[in-house]
Amino acid sequence: MAAYLIRRLLSMIPVLIGITIISFGVMKLAPGKPTDVMLDFNPKASVEARERMEQLLGLNQPIHIQYLTWLRRVATLNFDRSFRDGRPVTEIVVERLPITLTINVCALVLILGLAIPLGVIAAVRPGGLFDRATTVLVFIGYSTPAFWLGLLGIAWLGVALGWVPVSGLHSLDAESMSLVGRALDAAHHLVLPVGIMTFVGLAGLSRYARSSMVEVLRQDYIRTARAKGLPERLVLFRHGLRNALLPIVTILGLSLPDLIAGSVVMETVFAIPGMGRLFYDAVMARDQHIVMALVTIGAVLTLLGNLLADAAYAAADPRIRVGKSHA
Amino acid sequence: MAISLALRATVAVAESSPTTADAPVSGDALVVGSIGDASRLLPILATDSASGDIVGLVFNGLLKYNERLEVVGDLAEAWQVSEDGLTLTFTLRPNLRWQDRVPLTAEDVRFTYQKLIDPAVLTPYSSGYELVEDVEALDERTVRIRYREPFAPALESWMMGVIPKHLLEGEDLNTTSFLRRPVGSGPFRFRRWKTGELIELAANPDYFEHRPHVDRYLTRIIPDQATLFLELLAGQIDLSGLTPLQYRRQTDTPRIRESYRKFRYPSFGFTYLGYNLTDVRFADARIRRAFDLALDKQALIDGVLFGLGSVATGPYPKESWAYDPSVQPPSADQEAAKRLLAEAGWIDGDGDGLLDQQGHPFRFTIMTNQGNEVRRQVAELIQRQLRLLGVDASIRIVEWSTFVHEFIDKRRFEVVLLGWNLSRDPDLYDLFHSSRTGPGQYNFVGYANPEVDRLLEEGRRTFDQPARQQIYHQVHRLLASDQPYTFLYVADALPIVHARFRNVRATPIGIMDNVIDWHVPLPEQRYKRMAP
Repeated sequence: MAAYLIRRLLSMIPVLIGITIISFGVMKLAPGKPTDVMLDFNPKASVEARERMEQLLGLNQPIHIQYLTWLRRVATLNFDRSFRDGRPVTEIVVERLPITLTINVCALVLILGLAIPLGVIAAVRPGGLFDRATTVLVFIGYSTPAFWLGLLGIAWLGVALGWVPVSGLHSLDAESMSLVGRALDAAHHLVLPVGIMTFVGLAGLSRYARSSMVEVLRQDYIRTARAKGLPERLVLFRHGLRNALLPIVTILGLSLPDLIAGSVVMETVFAIPGMGRLFYDAVMARDQHIVMALVTIGAVLTLLGNLLADAAYAAADPRIRVGKSHA
Repeated sequence: MAISLALRATVAVAESSPTTADAPVSGDALVVGSIGDASRLLPILATDSASGDIVGLVFNGLLKYNERLEVVGDLAEAWQVSEDGLTLTFTLRPNLRWQDRVPLTAEDVRFTYQKLIDPAVLTPYSSGYELVEDVEALDERTVRIRYREPFAPALESWMMGVIPKHLLEGEDLNTTSFLRRPVGSGPFRFRRWKTGELIELAANPDYFEHRPHVDRYLTRIIPDQATLFLELLAGQIDLSGLTPLQYRRQTDTPRIRESYRKFRYPSFGFTYLGYNLTDVRFADARIRRAFDLALDKQALIDGVLFGLGSVATGPYPKESWAYDPSVQPPSADQEAAKRLLAEAGWIDGDGDGLLDQQGHPFRFTIMTNQGNEVRRQVAELIQRQLRLLGVDASIRIVEWSTFVHEFIDKRRFEVVLLGWNLSRDPDLYDLFHSSRTGPGQYNFVGYANPEVDRLLEEGRRTFDQPARQQIYHQVHRLLASDQPYTFLYVADALPIVHARFRNVRATPIGIMDNVIDWHVPLPEQRYKRMAP
């Protein structure tokens, strides 16, 4: 197992370099430079000023030199500085990461806690009333645009009823609150965005849970379990659910990169400064150091997530453990 | 409950404001909603409007514009222009201090200039100081600036915020931590900045005019227009800009009418159709004049801006002293336009409703940038109006960077729909001088009129205001008759301010001009629990 993991980890390096080369190239293909935001259609900025700024930022170098410079820095975990405000990219990411992580973990826990029971109960009687009702509900969530739900939620719960804050993460006077007060204040601000993200995200996982459970319940060993007279509760939860959860484990592993990828739409609507907006704004401003840092982090997490999913699957399912039969 | 409270508040206003000149009391916070976050809080590096707004409150230039758009002293109490226009001498106000109590001197002005022309500093503003020969601090309070050539827009260039030498000497200005916690000389001190969330400023008790009455100035960053508006409806934002639709329709509710006041004044900028003058069709001034005659600009303003704008006749808004009131907008006249086009050889020969010349119908594409809904709608109305004339215009909307670099810079356009936001100085050298047609320069339509060139050069050399006014009136008239652009409209700025703030007024320079005089009567003050 250890040898397998090491082999997999090493094979990630060329893949990662390939990903960064392609991303860097695509970014350079897009018209525009990071200096455009400062200079475009600013009659006070002369052509000389523009050239000077490009030279200062190293933007007039050939692309492969720019890439190699970048790669050399990143090899020492230095993601350079943002073109927008001159701060180190690491500092900017560290500032945003906890916000997005908190929101996504909250939403994921809620989704798991709701989707799996929904899926399992629906699977017990496929096509039954509960199944049909939850199907309709989760697909409403899945197919409604999140920004519209968000605005509707704000207009109703925030403006008309005044139960939750309209947007943002903290109250203006949060500074003068105690630590607990500040945490409660933040939680109050997060109720609506996290609630909506949960509702929107329910469909995928609950469908997986349902179909996987339906599949498992058709298996011979379930019939055997019932035939030997086990109570239905044991049949469902010990023999059924444990096997049905296997594919869910894979999906969770694959969703690792999603944890740090904020939703641009939700963050924009709720004025939350998270990773999604960071990435979107960076792309729009052609702030390439931020874009490349986020792409690299995302790629690493995706690759690690795949590996984790494989490892977890192997741990959970003895049939596919590595190296046993071929050794 | 909320409504009854608000009602009582307005009654109080009605009783107190006209009679008692209620003495301003300090306190409360002004919460401003902003779509974008700031980037670098240093005047010489600030390029986005969010940074510019904050920097404008924390720093001062030597000069500024007053509410009548006249140049007046800011840090400078007096200034002189030498007879030959080559030397500017500024005398600073006495006892100026930075917000950390260190005296502000002529040396700081010299330092600011040195950083502006320092090739290692990422400032886009260096070109405004190319003609400076040297800057000398004659004594603590006197700065002498010598120019190689007389340069009238120089006065405006000294409105650039002066930066503190004692805090920035030896620092790398592009990355210094000062960019995120600036110290200036202005009415507000920087307090904190939570990236992407808010920027908080506090009143500077030592400000040389007087301490602002409002204790705090908070900018909340809310990137979504709809959310920003909902925050306003919930009463959580005190000041924000409205869209024409919001101004006319969506703010017409009892709750908003009672607790907010809306303002309206012309913005300093205009929207135009720009023609590629290297295209043989648009090189003919008769065609451009025909379009000017055919386009009903008032219909654009009524249809898209809900009437909240005014017809442009040239590059200056009516408030500017450079605006020549004798230039009248032509009344929309399709028949006269058709005659002009026929004169230029464009007639509907084959009866298909489209004008043609040698079998080619009059077809072109209007390009504009993505993300500007107003421009898209204006383009559609123009398309329809031109169709009545027998001209077939299609619309192409392109992402901003692509638009600028692939189409504007490479001159690959026929007609563009764009807008300019201009500074208050009427110098238009960069837009219309024939030497400014290179890539990355702004006379991208390729306009060349020797008379306009001469006037623009003369305008830059002339300091005398009445003489300058004559020059720019002439520029205005020539541009209106040459029509390198069809000047369409000047949109109104539409701010809304919470009614508890007194002394708010709209001036041509904007609404924030006298923000240090805004105040809230004690019973109406809202934010009392702000951390010290």
